[in-house]
Amino acid sequence: MTANDQTSAVLDRIGLGLWTMRSMALGPRNRIADYRAFSEDALLAERLGFRSIWTAEHRIWYDGWCPAPLHALAMVAGATTRLRLGTAVLLASQHDPRWLARSAAVLDRLSGGRLDLGIGLGHRDVEFDTFGLRRDRRGRRMDEALEVMPAVWAGGHGDEPLSPGPQIWMGGMAPRALERAAVGGYNVLLPQTLRPDDIRRCLDTLHAHPGWQGTVGTMRDLWIEPDPARAREMRAALKRGFTEEAGWWVLKGKPAWEAPEALERQMLRVTDSALIGSADEVADGLRALLEAGVEFLCLRINLDISTHAELREQVHRVAEDLPPRLADAMAPLGVAG
Amino acid sequence: MRLLLEPEPVADLDVLHAHAVAAHASGLDGVMLRQARSLPAPLIAAAALASRVGDLLLAVEVELGERHPFELAEEVAVVDLASAGRLILVARPAPTAQDDYAEALDLLRTALTARPFRFEGTRWRVPANLPENEFGLEHEVRLMPPPAQVRLEVWGTGAGREAALQRGLGHLADADADPIELGGAHDRAAAALGPAAIGAPRARRETLTDPDGLVHRLRDGRTAFGQDWAVVAGGPDDAVVLGTRVRPRVQLHRLNPALEALWEGEKE
Repeated sequence: MTANDQTSAVLDRIGLGLWTMRSMALGPRNRIADYRAFSEDALLAERLGFRSIWTAEHRIWYDGWCPAPLHALAMVAGATTRLRLGTAVLLASQHDPRWLARSAAVLDRLSGGRLDLGIGLGHRDVEFDTFGLRRDRRGRRMDEALEVMPAVWAGGHGDEPLSPGPQIWMGGMAPRALERAAVGGYNVLLPQTLRPDDIRRCLDTLHAHPGWQGTVGTMRDLWIEPDPARAREMRAALKRGFTEEAGWWVLKGKPAWEAPEALERQMLRVTDSALIGSADEVADGLRALLEAGVEFLCLRINLDISTHAELREQVHRVAEDLPPRLADAMAPLGVAG
Repeated sequence: MRLLLEPEPVADLDVLHAHAVAAHASGLDGVMLRQARSLPAPLIAAAALASRVGDLLLAVEVELGERHPFELAEEVAVVDLASAGRLILVARPAPTAQDDYAEALDLLRTALTARPFRFEGTRWRVPANLPENEFGLEHEVRLMPPPAQVRLEVWGTGAGREAALQRGLGHLADADADPIELGGAHDRAAAALGPAAIGAPRARRETLTDPDGLVHRLRDGRTAFGQDWAVVAGGPDDAVVLGTRVRPRVQLHRLNPALEALWEGEKE
């Protein structure tokens, strides 16, 4: 195997995330430039050989978090030819499933089958409430979406069958999410905070279903920074940035903003699980995930706390530093779905 | 007169791209993508085209009234940002929800402003403030991000004509609309709205079977109902005819007869 083959074998298992087009107090952005930059970043990821680029979804928040990730990915689809286009995750239980299915089908068709549709429940009450939906019925909405979307793709609901249906990735780690994935035959995208042992337990749950043959991927917050002092700064910045997002969560029966101790513990879980350090340290952390059975890595390098120049430099670093260090861990995995 | 080229609605990016390139090369104002069974999510196609072809206006016709207008407004805002502010939204009443069209139009346009809002309609209440939802509920919500454009054009079409005209919005008439009757409708709206009606686009769908015929039709449309936009069904080759033979003849109120004669001579 040549060095080039090694590099492509590794990068073919790595997706870059998550582009959210936020303009945060920590780092205000011009929105139009930010959407344009997403296209340019995707083109760079494609040229360097990454498998995919990933977006996420939230709504009704001061920073303008992109609420329509399929439409942002459609812009990228027009600018790229090979790169896969992922959502990690799209909040399927907040959408009208027929229209969601139609958008996904058109994107999958226009892009030549490049959509990786990662879906999750969402958790902010105000997001459900805006659409007149009950948050406590989000699981039922997800089940409905998983019934309606394939029917639309197959030509039901008066639709034309435009796409055989995108690859579906079930986001989450809750038993019910894994159960849905196993029964439906979907891939799984695990959250970024899981330790190798947690990952093994999730895989055991999935493999308890003998027919299931999906791919397991995991998210991971990551930043390659060889200088220890700067790595510490990056970890602090990650914690600070993530606090804004985690403040939404409901911890111990109340919003995290009102439960500062629970929020602090949650933030420690996030920052402790982030791989921030030298290329060797980061690669060792990823190797542990691969050894636990993960087949695909969605590396969240875009934390909306770096400048665009720093982000692009990081894309190059990941592409150059990780393949030589992970080639042996990636080789035995076969071909992902 | 502004001209948009309208391809057949197909979910094929190369085909749509060829139309957009031709429209751009021929100096047309943009392309129109309409929702159809063969292209059920034209906003997705518009976002994909946006990164391939700059400068062109991207008009997108969708059904309005069935799905939640706030969800549509979010997609509109993102596609407008992805195209750096080139989107025009044309809304046709959904066949299954004609009665909800006007309310949907109001909610959509309220959402597209840069204000937090509360909307109390008969079908939609935003935010709903359901008793089952507990945490962090708001009295008012705001669509974030807002579109790139300060005032994104939302036009009505089909059975949505009266709702659009009453609101001073643009209107896209069908090809078989009676121009005199249309003129009457616009006059009534202008009388009711006063100066608020100034500037609303008046468009009609057209076909290009005969370039001279289209020129006459557009001039008549301008006289009869103030037509200032034409959405012309056609392929990439038609863009050349529109750019070289139709557009120059409908730009101004009238041309110097000597120039018309020069062009006539060159046709031979």
